[in-house]
Amino acid sequence: MKSRPGNLAPHNESLFNAVLSTLDMVVFECEEDSSEFRLQGLPPEWWRAWVGPADCTMLDLGRCSPFLQEYLTSAHLAWAGTPGATEKSGPWTEPDRQGGSMTLEATALAIGSKKLVLIERLGSGFKEMGTIVQRARERMLAEERTAKAYRKTETHLISKLEVSERTKDDALALLQHLGLAALVLDERGHITFASDRGLEILGMTAEAVIGREWEQALPLPEHDRMAIRELINTASDRRKACVVGIEGPRPSWVEIEVHGDPCHPGRHIVIVHDRTELHTLRRVLNEQASFHDLVGKSPAMLRTYQLVRDVAQVDSTVLIEGETGTGKELIARAIHSCSSRKHKPFIAANCAGLTDSILTSQLFGHKRGAFTGAVNDQQGLFEAAEGGTLFLDEIGDIPQQVQTALLRVLQEKEITRLGEAKPRKIDVRVVAATHHNLSEDVVRGSFRADLLYRIRIARVQLSPLRERREDIPLLAQSFLGQICTATGKTIERLNPDTLRLLMSHAWPGNVRELKSAIEFAVISCKTKEVLPIDLPPEIISAPVVPSSSVWIPLPNRDEKSRFLAALSDAKGNRTEAARRLGVSRATFYRRLVELDIDPR
Amino acid sequence: MMQKKVCMLGGFAVGKTSLVRRFVSNVFSDHYHTTIGVTVEKKSVTVDDRDIMLVLWDLYGEDEFQRVRDSYLRGSSGYILVMDGTRKATLDTALALQQTALRTVGTVPFISIINKADVRSEWEIDERTIEQLRAQGWTVLFGSAKLGQGVEELFVALATQLVHAAPIP
Ligand SMILES: Nc1nc2c(ncn2[C@@H]2O[C@H](COP(=O)(O)OP(=O)(O)OP(=O)(O)O)[C@@H](O)[C@H]2O)c(=O)[nH]1
Ligand SMILES: [Mg+2]
Repeated sequence: MKSRPGNLAPHNESLFNAVLSTLDMVVFECEEDSSEFRLQGLPPEWWRAWVGPADCTMLDLGRCSPFLQEYLTSAHLAWAGTPGATEKSGPWTEPDRQGGSMTLEATALAIGSKKLVLIERLGSGFKEMGTIVQRARERMLAEERTAKAYRKTETHLISKLEVSERTKDDALALLQHLGLAALVLDERGHITFASDRGLEILGMTAEAVIGREWEQALPLPEHDRMAIRELINTASDRRKACVVGIEGPRPSWVEIEVHGDPCHPGRHIVIVHDRTELHTLRRVLNEQASFHDLVGKSPAMLRTYQLVRDVAQVDSTVLIEGETGTGKELIARAIHSCSSRKHKPFIAANCAGLTDSILTSQLFGHKRGAFTGAVNDQQGLFEAAEGGTLFLDEIGDIPQQVQTALLRVLQEKEITRLGEAKPRKIDVRVVAATHHNLSEDVVRGSFRADLLYRIRIARVQLSPLRERREDIPLLAQSFLGQICTATGKTIERLNPDTLRLLMSHAWPGNVRELKSAIEFAVISCKTKEVLPIDLPPEIISAPVVPSSSVWIPLPNRDEKSRFLAALSDAKGNRTEAARRLGVSRATFYRRLVELDIDPR
Repeated sequence: MMQKKVCMLGGFAVGKTSLVRRFVSNVFSDHYHTTIGVTVEKKSVTVDDRDIMLVLWDLYGEDEFQRVRDSYLRGSSGYILVMDGTRKATLDTALALQQTALRTVGTVPFISIINKADVRSEWEIDERTIEQLRAQGWTVLFGSAKLGQGVEELFVALATQLVHAAPIP
């Protein structure tokens, strides 16, 4: 290196040096045809510290730093380009001699023919910028780390959620597969879950129940709501299921079981069983206990109901046989109601105790003047029943002549009014009834055999009440209800002793007698319960079968007193006494002998 | 001795300075001190019995505010693309920088390294992505400036390519 003073500012060297010092800058001029540069003016302190003594004015800049070496190759761009063009190096860092570093920036420019390189040390402004960049980047890194941590937690949670969702799905699938109908209630009684089957049974949608309080969501009558509330509040070991009715468009009956949630105390699992079908079956069974005003579910009655249904399907004449009071007319009405004629008239006629001509005129009608008192043309009951059913009660009592006319009507399906010659077509179904044994009447000659066969095409035999005692409670309760409704009294039940008395009575007057007895009792009754004292005296006086609701045939000792009572009630009339006891006269006589009773 | 300018390119804080310092001075600091501008370091390596002086230009990391100056890249014989395995976005920066380098210095040898292999469990760059890079002709190395793993190999690998790319004097 040669030592030579700078020649850029020969006229005012001190000013030039002051400018350089202020800008912290060193200036070089490129030597023509050489890789050497000539220092211009006084270099700042840092330059001397970095490169060496200040008096070294000629130097190969490229050797000072690899960065400069590289940079100088591009400095030619500025020197060769348009005048005034500059080429900046961009900042670079160099170690200083003190073990620190400094950031420098070089600028190449040409002034006239002079090729110059200015190197400045980037000062506090640059440092500040560096600090800002540093802080910004640290901040970005920190944010990235936080975001990453969030993402990680999120992924972790999502995978956990997925696992628990899967577990839940599996449990649900199992639940649905088993068809288990279940609801889950939280601590506040809100429904948090409902299985498909559960919703199906309740006839509700998930939207309608989930998140809602069970008391509001489930359409239950108040008493059922109370029952469930009680169930929930009962200690688990004492909980029993309860059956409730769900109201709504599709009413159903469900059995509710409540269990504490083993995982979450305070929550409850409600298991729902559909009992609607069972209920329906039960109801059908109960409905079978009555049939068109007929009451009873004894095998005999159930058989009768079926027979009535069968007979109603055909149009043939029916004979109903049964003791007095067994409800023969009810059966006739039931046949009519079950038949296709149900919308047409049902006419009932009692044939007992009527004379030949009155009965004929009543049944077939008459022409005006046909007999004394026949002031008008009059249609008979057959015509009145046109299209419907004519019920002839006590057919065994009709006189021979009417029997003949009736037979003809049944055969020809036409009637001739009394006093007329021209028959009229009729379409009437005849249902006849009798308490006689018509076969015996035929043997005795009082009833036409051909008529019997004509009317007995179908046959319904009604059992006396004593032969179907199991129907007595049902009948009694039913009559009690009817009579209370009619009279406006509120009597809730029959006292067990009362029922026992009713069960053991012979009921010679059958159902009719039972109904009168209940009517009597309702009138006498002063409490909510029919007591034995309320019953008619003849029933109270009969001995009571002890503490059994099922009828047991009375022991002999009681039977003897019953026979005696019946004889005295009938004032010694044996036929009447036998009737009251509900036995045939032959049986009555035989038992009198066996029981050692003197009929007088 | 053959001298070759090599630029260290990559997003900020991927470990460019750390790789250079590990290679040149065998030191490492957990402290992050961002590079402003460029720092030039030199170190020679021997490839096929030939010494080659690597002039390593450790540039400031590129981000959305600071694009790398073309002038820094000029005259490079090769470059190293550094990515941070724990930050997926640094892969995109490396891809963009490779395009810049291609524009500025043409098809010179380059090697990419996914740094911070010591925390592999935290990596966001997955195997599939790496395979895709390799499929498009990239040399992808893994390394850790912190542990010194793969650092020497990185520079030697590039030097080898530089030697083979340059005509024998
Ligand atoms: N764990 C780990 N950390 C590293 C590794 N390499 C660098 N770091 C850390 O990463 C941060 C950034 O490192 P630098 O080497 O400064 O990154 P750079 O690419 O030079 O960053 P800029 O100069 O800002 O572009 C520092 O905190 C280092 O300690 C490594 O291999 N493993
Ligand atoms: Mg750096």
